[in-house]
Amino acid sequence: MKKDELIGGSVVFLFGAVTTIFSLQLPIGTFRRAGDGLFPLCLGLILMFLSLLFVLQVFFRKEPRGEDAASGSAIPGSAKQVLLFLGAAALATALLNSLGYLLTALFLMLALLRLLGMKRWVPLALFSLISAGASHLLFVYWLKIPLPRGWLDF
Amino acid sequence: MFESLGHLASGFGVATTLHNLFYCLIGVTVGTLIGVLPGIGPIAGIALLIPATFGLDPTAAIIMLAGIYYGAMYGGSTTSILLNVPGETASVITCIDGYQMAQQGRAGPALAICAIGSFVAGTIGLFGLVFLAPPLARAALVFGPPEYFALMVFGFIVLSNVTGTSLLKSLMMAVVGLIIGTIGLDPVTGNARFTFGHVYLLGGIEFVAVAIGLFGIAEVLANVEKPPEMLEKKVIVPRFRDLYPSLTDLKKSIKPILRGSGLGFGLGLVPGPAPVIATYASYMVEKKVSRHPEEFGKGAIEGVAGPESANNAASQSAFIPLFVLGIPFAPPTAILLGALLIHGVNPGPLMISQHPELFWGVIASMYIGNFILLVLNLPFVPFFASILRIPQNILLPLIVLFCLTGMYTVNNSVLDIWLMLLLGGLGYLMRKWAYEGAPLLLALVLGPRLEVAFRQSLMISRGDFEIFLSRPISLALLLATALFLLIPAARMILKAAKKDNLVKSRKT
Repeated sequence: MKKDELIGGSVVFLFGAVTTIFSLQLPIGTFRRAGDGLFPLCLGLILMFLSLLFVLQVFFRKEPRGEDAASGSAIPGSAKQVLLFLGAAALATALLNSLGYLLTALFLMLALLRLLGMKRWVPLALFSLISAGASHLLFVYWLKIPLPRGWLDF
Repeated sequence: MFESLGHLASGFGVATTLHNLFYCLIGVTVGTLIGVLPGIGPIAGIALLIPATFGLDPTAAIIMLAGIYYGAMYGGSTTSILLNVPGETASVITCIDGYQMAQQGRAGPALAICAIGSFVAGTIGLFGLVFLAPPLARAALVFGPPEYFALMVFGFIVLSNVTGTSLLKSLMMAVVGLIIGTIGLDPVTGNARFTFGHVYLLGGIEFVAVAIGLFGIAEVLANVEKPPEMLEKKVIVPRFRDLYPSLTDLKKSIKPILRGSGLGFGLGLVPGPAPVIATYASYMVEKKVSRHPEEFGKGAIEGVAGPESANNAASQSAFIPLFVLGIPFAPPTAILLGALLIHGVNPGPLMISQHPELFWGVIASMYIGNFILLVLNLPFVPFFASILRIPQNILLPLIVLFCLTGMYTVNNSVLDIWLMLLLGGLGYLMRKWAYEGAPLLLALVLGPRLEVAFRQSLMISRGDFEIFLSRPISLALLLATALFLLIPAARMILKAAKKDNLVKSRKT
């Protein structure tokens, strides 16, 4: 837990530092006539201060014995599941313009349902087809929203 | 007062047109579904459906989106009672006694009391809105940039104080949101800032992508991680004839409903996740005033009636700061602010006079929406309960598909989907590290307004920070902010000192 919190705090600190650096490249001006960079510079500095305070607070906090070991017992494979899930959504996004909405939605549903444990191919294909078709009907025909048609033009 | 009643009557005229009634019905029905389904809350739900309102006039659009908001608040209680899984955070407290009632075969009366309580709270909230909003709008006309700046800072600090487990973490998230809000064109000079030459970033970070990413995709990812057996729960589906509460139930619930409504309405005016705080406060009050506090936690109907009324009243009064000041105090109303701006309506003290049709129409539609919720939801409770039987391994991919499609429809841009997925991953990590998304989202929406107020104040004072302290309203708000910051710090120091004393006394 402590390790996770230290990593989280450090990431936020880094974000504050990057903001500060990029803000300094913009005109700062004065408080009377602020430049584009003044407000983000103040925010970057405040974020660095807050996250540093947090990291120090966590670092000097006394953890009850064994807590770190207990928190490390994450369910094996579950993070992989999350990554695969997110990866499938990212792949669908990458293919959206080329494949078109209907095919992308179909493949996305196939992949996600399979990832979440739907093993039998017939219900998997049937459910993916129905959900992709229904969402296509809803968005394209009912809400009249133009969605990508892809190379196959449908 | 009579003038307000006249305006309200005209509002009912607007809200009861067939067109607006239809969108109110769609809003509350979709909202109830969003509230019922775990994995998508009111924030992501409203954000997801903003594109569906693009073809509508602003009044119908806001009527529908507001309907989704209070419909979701209502729907959340259904899952709390039937499944012991709150549909959204404000329904957590309903689980305690609501689920116990369901276990005892009294799910019907629990759900009916929720609906009746929400309707009564909606009625009280309506009159509060009608009589409080116009005088507050007149008072808000004296607000200048320093007052707005102080009010927004106050809002961030209070929200950070009451959300999450650590004030420091919530504050960090608020500042991250403010920084993300600076991407795009400088609101004063119009120069590009942090865009790195990309045209896409000129318009700033799409808040809908942030909302759906942090609150929709992240929630789905958190559910994906759970082992399958944790996702399967037994659903209790009540029969229609078992829905009616007894006379004793009604008698027991009247006072908690009235107390909850008053408490919720008052708390809705304060910055922070008002419905959540209101439900907790109402539960505590009911337990304290009850002659049988030992029944709480074992299926006391008062423990359902009070918090549910408080929840609805707070959701309704949260519209007052949004409409009157143009400043939302919580993420769902922040999303509604975004929707108003998209539709070309700039909420603030002048909204009532500039857009009376929209203001009074939306207020009247809330009452109609509450009535629709009461009339429609009770007979359909078995239907909504059946929806809960959809396995999560089917529901979660469907939510992702809708998030992706909904996100694309905002600007017809694949880049928005990438941003949403990125923020979904970030939101998942934030959950792992126990960071709250609410302060980030609120800060992102309010960031540009805060910056403008800050810079305008300093321009007026020629760079002198005393302007924030020399004006009474701004001073009072900043003093209150300091108090909210100092109290937790003082509490922490006292706790540490107590712990030290304990260790010393043990050693001796």
